[in-house]
Amino acid sequence: MEADNIIEMLHITKEFPGIVANDDITLQLRRGEIHALLGENGAGKSTLMSVLFGLYQPEAGQIRKNGQVVKIQNPNDATALGIGMVHQHFKLIDVFTVLDNIILGAETTKLGFLQKKAAREKVQALSERYGLKVDLDAKVEDITVGMQQRVEILKMLYRDNEILIFDEPTAVLTPQEIEELMETMKSFAKEGKSILFISHKLNEIMAVADRVTVLRKGKCVGTIQTKDTDKQALSNMMVGRPVQLEVQKTPAKPGKTVLEVQGLRVVDRIHKRDAVRDVSFNVREGEIVCIAGIDGNGQSELVYGLTGLERVSAGTVKLCGQDISRATIHHRSGNMSHIPEDRHKHGLVLDFTLEQNMVLQRFREKRFQNAGFINKGAVRSYTQALIRQYDVRSGQGPVTVVRSMSGGNQQKAIIARELDRENPLIVAVQPTRGLDVGAIEYIHQQLVEERDKGRGVLLVSLELDEVMSLSDRILVMYGGEIVGELDPKKTTVEELGLYMAGAKRMTKGGRAQ
Amino acid sequence: MKEKLSDLYAKDGTKTVLASVLSILIGLAMGSLIILVVGLANPNLGISGAWDGIRLTFAGIFSTGRDAAGALTFGFNSTNLGNMLFRATPLILTGLSVAVAFKTGLFNIGAPGQYLMGTAATLVIALSIPSGTMPGVMVWLLAFLGGTLAGALWGCIPGLVKAFLNINEVLACIMTNWIAANLVTWIFDGSKFRNLVENTKSGYIYKTTYALTQVDGVWTYVDGKGVSTAKMGLDKIFPGSQVNGGILIAIAIAILIYILMSKTTLGYQLKACGANRHAARYAGIADRRNIVLSMAIAGALSGAAAALYYLSSNTEFFWSTYQSLPATGFNGIPVALLAASNPIAVIFTGCFMSMLDIVGLQLTNLTAYNEYITDVIIAIIVYLSAFSLMIKLFLTGRKKRRAQAPVSESGGAQGAPAPEDGTRQEGGGQA
Repeated sequence: MEADNIIEMLHITKEFPGIVANDDITLQLRRGEIHALLGENGAGKSTLMSVLFGLYQPEAGQIRKNGQVVKIQNPNDATALGIGMVHQHFKLIDVFTVLDNIILGAETTKLGFLQKKAAREKVQALSERYGLKVDLDAKVEDITVGMQQRVEILKMLYRDNEILIFDEPTAVLTPQEIEELMETMKSFAKEGKSILFISHKLNEIMAVADRVTVLRKGKCVGTIQTKDTDKQALSNMMVGRPVQLEVQKTPAKPGKTVLEVQGLRVVDRIHKRDAVRDVSFNVREGEIVCIAGIDGNGQSELVYGLTGLERVSAGTVKLCGQDISRATIHHRSGNMSHIPEDRHKHGLVLDFTLEQNMVLQRFREKRFQNAGFINKGAVRSYTQALIRQYDVRSGQGPVTVVRSMSGGNQQKAIIARELDRENPLIVAVQPTRGLDVGAIEYIHQQLVEERDKGRGVLLVSLELDEVMSLSDRILVMYGGEIVGELDPKKTTVEELGLYMAGAKRMTKGGRAQ
Repeated sequence: MKEKLSDLYAKDGTKTVLASVLSILIGLAMGSLIILVVGLANPNLGISGAWDGIRLTFAGIFSTGRDAAGALTFGFNSTNLGNMLFRATPLILTGLSVAVAFKTGLFNIGAPGQYLMGTAATLVIALSIPSGTMPGVMVWLLAFLGGTLAGALWGCIPGLVKAFLNINEVLACIMTNWIAANLVTWIFDGSKFRNLVENTKSGYIYKTTYALTQVDGVWTYVDGKGVSTAKMGLDKIFPGSQVNGGILIAIAIAILIYILMSKTTLGYQLKACGANRHAARYAGIADRRNIVLSMAIAGALSGAAAALYYLSSNTEFFWSTYQSLPATGFNGIPVALLAASNPIAVIFTGCFMSMLDIVGLQLTNLTAYNEYITDVIIAIIVYLSAFSLMIKLFLTGRKKRRAQAPVSESGGAQGAPAPEDGTRQEGGGQA
């Protein structure tokens, strides 16, 4: 039994100021298995893997390889032991070519000169063998995210690693790319490589992993075989209580119109063409309207136009009866909350503290300032109230630098800030992207609650499950136009997919063609 | 919980201060080393000369010359201290200029140009108003505000170019520096402000103590009819020095800037735009306006530096600047770096940099070394201050290792710093 384990992490404990990230965690990886590490944001998955990869030193515990105790002081030690890692945020040099990135740090040289030819052949062979298509001479900045990930995988293979760590590899991929990655991982396992797969997506874990170790709040909950369990049981283990995978909501009771969009056009800044073409729709009080569609069909630009981040080139936007199509963002934000698509670019000032971020729009309000001087006490107590109400977890409370918070809690902070402004319209763009089931459940509940309070919710989502379960009305966008309006209760995922792919569309009158 | 927080704050602050102090000490030590090598290589100096040099490097500000036996003497030297404060005045302000820009995510390398424009405006205003037309205080105030405003307007240019055309402010600043140098030369070339009264000084502009006065029906410049900054009693504390009230004004401005940046909504907006322009825009903060505004404030501070320097009437302005930029502008960068862009700390680092100037003079006067030795020291410190972040990380790393050394079962980790990449702090984070 012992000999089966290629890597054992025994009783690992790792602390950070204000938080125990790993508390006596034991993880055993068998040769040739795909072992999933499941846990909510902040459960300690990435920390544990960083310990294995030598980025952090644990306060207690030991790591064994093939039964021998090893000391991993830095990533070089890890590489020497055959451990490779694909980080959640790729560690690639944008201006280098794919080949240069793969061989970086493991170059073959002769008299100090690079021997790229041999390296190229080796990479090509690996690329063909595993079906990992990459363009070796393209610069990393020019290739897709999916290809960048394949480059990272080839980096590990090039170094002959036998233990492969994938840190949330699917978060950035399209459904097709996820499918391919799963196949690649399975073929690695078949060849005897051992894989640690960090994820909080239950579907993927059930599809690909042999065993799962579940972490919760820094502690190990248990390790089980995937064939002995199901999604519901896993999510309960992960969250520590029974989780509602389905959204619970009553039928919508729409009131008067909050948002009215007529003939909207927005120009794509990069390609100088209309990204949003003649779009008209409205959102009423007390309903969740969902914009569905495949990424890149004008949803982002539509939201930019509505929120004022981009100028509209034609059409009108009426919010609460007022024409806001030329209004400033500041003016619009008086009636509109916006949970942005890119939480790092737009949603947060990462180097600011939590309390500074919580008043990003509201610092001008009387309660937070006095003759131009910020009322720090009011900001602090307001933030504390939001932290309590929305369960935002952070190391040092209101003064935590947001950059140091986990992604899920960063998103919760944005949601707390936006929902607490109590605006009649909430624009939420992929509010649950990259979050775990517990957080998704929470955010869905919040949005339904806001709807029931009589607010209009415009949701933009790429996830079909979310679209089907959360929305009261679905508008499908394709090629910058709204090609269909569907009732989630009367439609199927398949039909929705046809609209999203552009295979089906309604005429202006609302009839299917 | 509260105590822990303040502890952590104190720790981070201490580290910043330690890093700066360490850069300074290493700079002085390296300077001493050079002094030693030069001394040993030069028969006129020798080991005793080198020892004198090293002592002056560290304590030149307290040097009181040599006694009858030829040994260096040290003690309270009001001239040195007063001159240090006088020279610190413009450095504090250009340091603030760079620091404010840093805090708002901009690199103001345009301080020399803003300083020059401030100089020109101050001198033109002060020298254009005939004596007797208004009280001296008014002339002084107009000249000071004019210089400040000119700096602000000059700072606006890179700000506007950055905000509306997204052109890097460093490039724009460098260009506006040279435009300013040539513009100022052109303004003064052939102007009536060139010092013709004192023949030897025709390359210079009149000091502000000169003013247009009617003598026998002819308008000429007469010394003593113009204005200069009030001493505010400082000449009593530091007799025999050039110090005047300018240093008090500079310190007051530093405190105002501190309040502006850390206590007001304006400072909050400026910092938000600097830290993440997109998020600021998303939140309805006018990002363009704020970029222009922070460059304007930075420029105003550089302009004020020039105004106070030339209104002191201790120095004359050499008008032909087209091929050289004023070092005071550039020296604002190390002053801001050493102060980690903290406006209050700028007061001290500004004084420190001007102290090195004084040390250089002491070396020249009292030993066979020349003052350029201190330029070497300043250069080393500038390099190190640019690395002060690295030194800070090094200090952090030492603490971390010390905390980890005794790995016990209980595993205390009070010394472990917050991880720089927060996605790992709580593990499993999606960023």
